[in-house]
Amino acid sequence: MDNQDVRPLFSPESDHASLVERSRGIKMAAEVGLARSSRDRHWSRALRRRLLLLRRGTASDDCGCQNEALTSSKVGGDMGVGANEEEAVEVEARVRALQRLVPGGEELGTERLFEETADYIEALRVQVSAMRALACLLDELRERRG
Amino acid sequence: MEPGGSSGVGSVNSGTYTPEIAESLRFEEEIQSLIDPSFDASSAAGGSFTALLGLPANQAVELLHHPGPGEPPASAASSSPIAGDLWRLRLVEQHAVTDTLRLPFGCSSTFPSDAALVERAARFSVFATDDSPASSSGGGLSPELKAEPPDSHSPPTLPVPAEKPRRPSKRKECEKSKAKAVAKKSKSAEENTSAAKPAAEENTSGDKLPYVHVRARRGQATDSHSLAERARREKINARMKLLQELVPGCSKITGTALVLDEIINHVQSLQRQVEFLSMKLAAVNPRIDFSGLDHILSAECGPLAMGSGCGGGASDPATWASETAASTGGIRRMPPPQQIWHLDLVHPQQSSTVWENNGAAHPHFLLSPATSLVGYDPASSVPLNSNQLKTEL
Repeated sequence: MDNQDVRPLFSPESDHASLVERSRGIKMAAEVGLARSSRDRHWSRALRRRLLLLRRGTASDDCGCQNEALTSSKVGGDMGVGANEEEAVEVEARVRALQRLVPGGEELGTERLFEETADYIEALRVQVSAMRALACLLDELRERRG
Repeated sequence: MEPGGSSGVGSVNSGTYTPEIAESLRFEEEIQSLIDPSFDASSAAGGSFTALLGLPANQAVELLHHPGPGEPPASAASSSPIAGDLWRLRLVEQHAVTDTLRLPFGCSSTFPSDAALVERAARFSVFATDDSPASSSGGGLSPELKAEPPDSHSPPTLPVPAEKPRRPSKRKECEKSKAKAVAKKSKSAEENTSAAKPAAEENTSGDKLPYVHVRARRGQATDSHSLAERARREKINARMKLLQELVPGCSKITGTALVLDEIINHVQSLQRQVEFLSMKLAAVNPRIDFSGLDHILSAECGPLAMGSGCGGGASDPATWASETAASTGGIRRMPPPQQIWHLDLVHPQQSSTVWENNGAAHPHFLLSPATSLVGYDPASSVPLNSNQLKTEL
């Protein structure tokens, strides 16, 4: 696509719109990397599916909603461990929020959800540290060049 | 009973009045004055033990009558010095007096010589008047016993057998409640049911099942549904503990909802960091362009892993090196070949070290992104450098 554009774009503020686009692209790349780092995880597969659908079209939202509707009942009452009604409702709300955060979480029951969350957190941490290292190195190289 | 007791003691006084008994009497006066502020010590100078001690007559008799071992009940002794003194007094009395003391109480059958009962009586005698029961079981029973002394004090002249029917029933109540208290303590129940027996059975039945590693607590049903549910809840709690350890600063928090809050915040912050860093990377290196991902994503459905020789690269060989280092931690990046073009054309000197093996491959990239990506699939056509980023397709 940009094969004509071979001149170096050293100034970041030169193209602000594309910065956002580019950051989105980078983020997607990061997510792809993240998804591939732990293949056998449910969240990883769900993430890859989502990314694929995102690239191909906007049909991903429908599929996501379907999944949610089917399995929304799974979380009900799971966390009522010695808690009264209010607490159970609170806890359930938070579990649902967590389900939305973790890719593929909507389909999972509470127990599996926690497992996936733990692995997802680990992978996210590694991702963040890798990106940070990359950014530092690029900074360094940029300084060296300029 | 007082007349009998006093007569008995009186006989002791008249007969074998030893200095020890006198001392103990005086001691008991003191104790009585301690226990009962309204007690008139002078009136009890020659009085019976029972009056001195302020005990209900029947219980005092019981104490005196008890021929049991000379050791005071441990709990009673430890719980209150007064109780210990009482016991010592009793022992003194036992040693000092002859069996004549027991004669008036010839109707020994009416007095239960149960050691435990006497023990409790001794404790109660102190606790009934003392507001702070030292032992918890005694405390549970003291309210009941507090009812007793007033009962027995008001009609002090009631014949003992008349009081007897009441006492055993009360004692039985004491026993029952004491048993319940002990059971409650030992089983550490959270729920309390009215039936003690089924609870005990439930407890044992919960233990007997080998394949259910959940202890049935007292008052909880042991049917399969609730057991399975409890097992599930235990599993969920275990997972939650894992998450707590994973998220920093979460182990101190108590409460499921708060812990979950922390976890959610942590996940959100990590995701935001990824976004922020991607923005930063886009800003730092404007040449990075990851727009050719769809091919890569689609490619992952088909062909198998390409091995270590394939993959894209970051914009710099240095970053490639860092990326390969990072990839051991499990992170892969998928920059499209456009990037490689940029690198090639803008920084040929840097790329040469990396692309030394791939001089022939570059024109492919320049010409068509699609084919270059297609070129990823067959490993032979695009023999990229091995020190490039490892990717899995």
